[in-house]
Amino acid sequence: MSDLETLKDLLFGTEKQVLDSISERVESRELRSADVADILPEAIHASHRSGGELIKALREPVGACLQQEIRDDPQTYGDALYPVMGPAIRKYIMHALRTFTQQINEALEQSLTPKGLSWRVQAWRAGVPFGEFVVQKSLLYRVEQAYLISRENGLLVGHAQHEAARIKDSDAVSAMFTAIQDFVKESFSPDRTGRLESADMGEFTLWAVHGPHALLVCVIRGVPPRSLRADLSAILERIHFRYGDAIRTYSGDTASVPEVEEELTACLRLEARQDTGTANKGVSWPLLIILILVVGAFGYFAVTGWLQAQQIARLNAALTDTPGLYITDIYRDRQSVLVRGLRDPLAPTVSAVAAANGLSHVEIVADMQAFQSLDPTLLAQRAANRFGSPEGVSFAVEGSRLIVSGAAPVDWQEEVALAYRTLAGLDDIEFRMSPDERAEQAAAAPGVDLGQLDAIVRQLDGRAFYFASGTTLTAQSADALTAYADQLKAAAADLALLGRGLNLTATGFTDPVGAPEVNYALAQQRAEAIASALVELGWDGAIIARANPDRATDVSKVDPSLRRAIVELESVETEPTQ
Amino acid sequence: MTVVTSKVCIVGDFAVGKTSVVERFVNSQFSDKYLTTIGVKVDTKEIDLPQRGVQQKLILWDVAGTDRFGDTEFAYLRGASGYVFVADGTRPLTMGTATSLRDRAFEHYGVKPAVLLVNKHDLTGAWDVSEQRLKGLQAQFGSVFVTSAKTGAHVDDALTHLAELIVDRAIADQQ
Repeated sequence: MSDLETLKDLLFGTEKQVLDSISERVESRELRSADVADILPEAIHASHRSGGELIKALREPVGACLQQEIRDDPQTYGDALYPVMGPAIRKYIMHALRTFTQQINEALEQSLTPKGLSWRVQAWRAGVPFGEFVVQKSLLYRVEQAYLISRENGLLVGHAQHEAARIKDSDAVSAMFTAIQDFVKESFSPDRTGRLESADMGEFTLWAVHGPHALLVCVIRGVPPRSLRADLSAILERIHFRYGDAIRTYSGDTASVPEVEEELTACLRLEARQDTGTANKGVSWPLLIILILVVGAFGYFAVTGWLQAQQIARLNAALTDTPGLYITDIYRDRQSVLVRGLRDPLAPTVSAVAAANGLSHVEIVADMQAFQSLDPTLLAQRAANRFGSPEGVSFAVEGSRLIVSGAAPVDWQEEVALAYRTLAGLDDIEFRMSPDERAEQAAAAPGVDLGQLDAIVRQLDGRAFYFASGTTLTAQSADALTAYADQLKAAAADLALLGRGLNLTATGFTDPVGAPEVNYALAQQRAEAIASALVELGWDGAIIARANPDRATDVSKVDPSLRRAIVELESVETEPTQ
Repeated sequence: MTVVTSKVCIVGDFAVGKTSVVERFVNSQFSDKYLTTIGVKVDTKEIDLPQRGVQQKLILWDVAGTDRFGDTEFAYLRGASGYVFVADGTRPLTMGTATSLRDRAFEHYGVKPAVLLVNKHDLTGAWDVSEQRLKGLQAQFGSVFVTSAKTGAHVDDALTHLAELIVDRAIADQQ
């Protein structure tokens, strides 16, 4: 060592050692790398905190690096990203499915079929959206077995099965599925990338979900929804995440995949049944109240409807039994009862019939057309109205015969006899007079006093006789005239004894048909015919024949009873005969 | 006792008795009726290996007989832990086929534990395998068993030996 070196050691001994150490570190690549590695994390942190320069600096080389790596080894990155991409894709699909379910929900909300309403109630009770409930109802399924199979060697990594499922040898099933998978891939997939993903076996569906190192095969009873595949993928992703290396290198040692069957058991919980979530729920009071209200309303309307039907039936029976009413239609229209049919003017109104039968509270709208009833009661009443009804006289109808009973003047009887045919439904007449009544009709007996004679005169006064045509009397009037002449003569004889006499005036009438002059002459002739007949029959008293001065002008009233002559009496004082 | 599951492929030429060997081993049964195997048939058999503290469950892939592997047969061999090659002692050519198949399998999937079964030893009149040939096969396969599926002779021994080889190989790999 030179003096200079010795001097340096004396002067800068410690510092020189430090400088040598620094020089050595700078010159040594390994040491520099170790130093940089030591401070690199802190340097990156410090640079990141100080600004975005580090990101800008790394963006391009890191991006290029990733692109190159992914291009060179896509499988590794695919496997690495599998646990990340699965949930992301599933989340997107779930969102799409939820939107789709929403659309189904809106569509089904418009349907009001009985089944739809029933499902709506069940969905409401189960507390799930209606669309989701419909999907559950439509897609009933249950995962009965789940196999986790190594893709490398087809060995069964794990197996879980439902209590109800029966299987002989899960290892053999696993191996056979792998063999089938290989066979299908080799036979039908030209590039050998195809995979057997589902198979149908009667009521079972077999689904295979493929992962990087294992595939999950599920035996499903029924028809599974597509969303189930996403659930199974999630389970397989979780298994890969937990047992990734163990599955990749699985060689049959079950101890290398502890508790994998617990993971597979999650598959068995994937099921949809008709009574899911509803079997153990208690009674839903709102639903019960609604049911009670519905049943109550139904009962109210049923009873009300029945009562209204009974009212209509009673009213119909009462109307049908009433003469002069003919009902063609009767029905309820909202709050009122509408009645259609025919009504004779003489019959009671529909409302009157209803009131008489205790149905006055029923609002009735009657649409009745007028008609003439041939009911015997109404025919008799119509005859009474037509001819008037003297005291003690009554009408009845038997078949088409008009029965007149009681005491009535002869001329009235003759009037009725002439005119009864004008009433529809009558073609015969019968007068039924009692013996006492006939006695009253007898002429006053000789020796009666003036009062009695006056009564007789009043009875004989105004008697009408009817002509069949021209100046020919009807047979009945001819007979009546004969009896009348006898009564007149008897009365005149008695009056003569009392110093009184009778002046007769015969007035002729005609119907309005024909010329007035001719009719006037005919009326005169009829009066004279009566006068002549009375003279011929022995009447020897005064008698005046004249035509009716009031000429009828209403030609529409063709009434046979107008063809008549009326005899009027006037009692006058005379010299008493001895 | 540890339970280990292993895939074993039974391969060989047509009608050498592969299915009969499996049937004898699994169900202790034999049938003279010949049914050709289409594709592959899978059976399982559990063997206790107390000395190794292992219960071995063999998944036996009875591959359809062939004199050379196609793509489908190769797919069936994927992931096998061991092979049972079967030849017919009355047909010397089938031993050549077994050798060829062994070479192709090892070439494709690597060397695995294997045994050769020279079957149909019960057919003594037609037996056509010399001791020298057997020694040659022993040198190639390491383990050769003269078996009879009909009588059951050495069938269990052969499969049990293969199971042991597989376990030993697995232990060696782990170490």
